[in-house]
Amino acid sequence: MGSYLKLELLRSVRNTTGLIMLTVFPLVLYLLWTKVLRVVPAGPQQVDFAAYTMVSMAVYGAMGGALFIGGAIAMERSKGWLRQLAVTPLPAHGYISAKLIAGATGVLPSILVVLGGGALISGVRLPPGTWPALVVLIWVGVMPFAALGVTFGYTMNGQAANLAMIAVFFGLSVLGGLWLPVQLMPEFMRTLAEYSPAYQAGSLGWRVLAGDWPTVKSLVVLAGWTLLFSGLASWRYRRAL
Amino acid sequence: MANALELTAVSKRYGQTSALDGVDLTAEQGQTIAVLGPNGAGKSTLLSIALGLLPPTSGTAAILGHPPVEALRKGLVGVLLQESGLLEDVRVDELVTATAGMYQKPMPVERALRAARADGFAAQRIGKLSGGQRQRVRIALALIGDPRLLVLDEPTVGLDVDGRRALWQEVRARTGEGRTAVFATHYLTEADDYADRVILLAKGKVVADGPVEKIKELVGGSEVHVTLDAAEVGVLQALPGVRQVRVEGGAAVLRTNDSDATLRALFATFADARDVRTAGTDLESAFVSLTGGN
Ligand SMILES: Nc1ncnc2c1ncn2[C@@H]1O[C@H](COP(=O)(O)OP(=O)(O)OP(=O)(O)O)[C@@H](O)[C@H]1O
Ligand SMILES: [Mg+2]
Repeated sequence: MGSYLKLELLRSVRNTTGLIMLTVFPLVLYLLWTKVLRVVPAGPQQVDFAAYTMVSMAVYGAMGGALFIGGAIAMERSKGWLRQLAVTPLPAHGYISAKLIAGATGVLPSILVVLGGGALISGVRLPPGTWPALVVLIWVGVMPFAALGVTFGYTMNGQAANLAMIAVFFGLSVLGGLWLPVQLMPEFMRTLAEYSPAYQAGSLGWRVLAGDWPTVKSLVVLAGWTLLFSGLASWRYRRAL
Repeated sequence: MANALELTAVSKRYGQTSALDGVDLTAEQGQTIAVLGPNGAGKSTLLSIALGLLPPTSGTAAILGHPPVEALRKGLVGVLLQESGLLEDVRVDELVTATAGMYQKPMPVERALRAARADGFAAQRIGKLSGGQRQRVRIALALIGDPRLLVLDEPTVGLDVDGRRALWQEVRARTGEGRTAVFATHYLTEADDYADRVILLAKGKVVADGPVEKIKELVGGSEVHVTLDAAEVGVLQALPGVRQVRVEGGAAVLRTNDSDATLRALFATFADARDVRTAGTDLESAFVSLTGGN
C-alpha cells in the first residue's frame, strides 16, 4: 500500500485546480471580507471579525477538500481504474485508505494558507498555543465530510457525484454559517444551523479563539454526524466491492 | 504441482441469458491457452470468474491451488482486462512503479516497460497517450509483478505490429520458463501461432478444446480452391467427396473429404478449371463451422 499512497500524495500535490479552488479561493474571499469590504466598523470589533472569518474560511476550504476525496473516487470508479486495481495485490481497503490519508493531507494547505492570511495580512493576533490548536481542531472537524464524500463517491458516477457534492458543499457551508455568521440568520434557520455539521466543525475553532473548550453539544452533534456519515460510507463502499 | 488454473462446472446466468454453461477447464503450468469464440460467447465472463472478479452462479475456480482472489493478493497473477481504466494525471513510469510496489517480487520497472514497448513514452502523462500506447501501459501493468500466470483478455486490440510482436515474444519467453498464459482473442492467427491449446467457446459452452491441429481435424477434410468461368453451386456440390461449397465471384472453395476424387471429377467436369490449389482446413474455417456461424 505504501507505493500507492506515495502515488496518491504525488497526485494531490500536483492537483493545481483543486489546490486553487480550495486554498486560493477561500483566501481571496477572506481578504475580500476583512481587507476590502467594510463589513464591520473599524476598531476591536473588526479584529474579532477577522479572526472569526479566518476560522470560517479555513473550515470552508478544508471541508471542500475532505468532501472531494469522494469526487475523485467517483471519477476513478467510472473510468474503470478500480477494476484495474482489483487485479493487483492491493486489497480493497488499501485503495480507500490511501485515498483518505492523501486526501486528509491535502486538506492541510487550505487551513494553513487561510490562517497564514489571517496572521500576516489581516492582523489576527492570538496566543501562540491557539494557532496549532486551531489547525488540529479544524482538521479534525472536517473529517466527517470525508466520510460523506466517500458515500457519494461510491453511490454516484463520475460527474454526477461531483455536481451533487458541489451542491452539498455550498448548501452546508451557507447553512453552517461559514459564509455569513449564523447570528445574522432568522431564528428557525439558526436553530437548524446549530445542528448542522459545518456549523459544529466551525464552532470548535470559533470557541478556541475565545479560549473556550468545545461545548458538549458540539461534540455530540459532530460525533453523531460522523457516525452517520461513516456508517453510510462503509455501507456504500461494501456494496461497491 | 498445482494446476495454473482450474474451473469446475462453472455457470453464469444473467436473468434469462446464460453467459457460461457448465464450463470445465484445467490449465497445466507452462501451457499457452487461447480462448476463442464469437462476440458474446462468454470469454470475458470465463476469465473474470477465473480471477474471482465475478461470482459464478455455480461452480468453482482456483488459481495455482488458491482461491482466485487470494492468488491475486499474493501477486501470482498478472492480468489485462478487456475493460479497465488508468489514472490520467500521472506519468507512465510513476504508475508502473507504484504498481510494482504492490508485488513482493516485481520485475524491474524498465524491463516491464521495455517488454511492453512502453519505454519510449515512459515520462509522458497517461492522459496524453494514444489508444495503442495505453494498451502498452496496460500490458506493462500485467507483466510488472513477474507473475506465474498471465491472463490477457484481447491483449492485442489496438496494438501495432511491433507492439504485438513484443507481447508474444514476452509471452513465449515466460511460458518457456514454465509459466502459464491464458488469453482471449479474435485474431485466430495469434491462437494458431502462439497457443499450444485452444478453447473454443460458443454461447457459453466449450465446443472444442485441444491443440490447434486437433481443432482443425475436428472439422476435417481439406479445401480445394478453384477458378471457374461459370461456377454452379449445384454441380460443384454433386462432385465426389464435396461436403460444402462456397462461391465468391469466379472463385469457388470446396470443402471435401476426399480431395483426390474431388480433383479428378473437377477437371473432368469443368474444362476451364484453373488456378487450382488445395489447402488443409485453416483455423478460421474450423472456428466458423464449430461455433455455428456462417
Ligand atoms: N453485466 C451483464 N449483464 C447482463 N448480461 C451480461 C453482462 N455481462 C455479460 N453479459 C452477457 O454475457 C454473455 C457473455 O459476455 P462476455 O463479455 O463474456 O462475452 P465475450 O466472449 O467476452 O465477448 P467479446 O468478444 O465481445 O468480448 C453475453 O451474451 C453478454 O450479453
Ligand atoms: Mg470479452
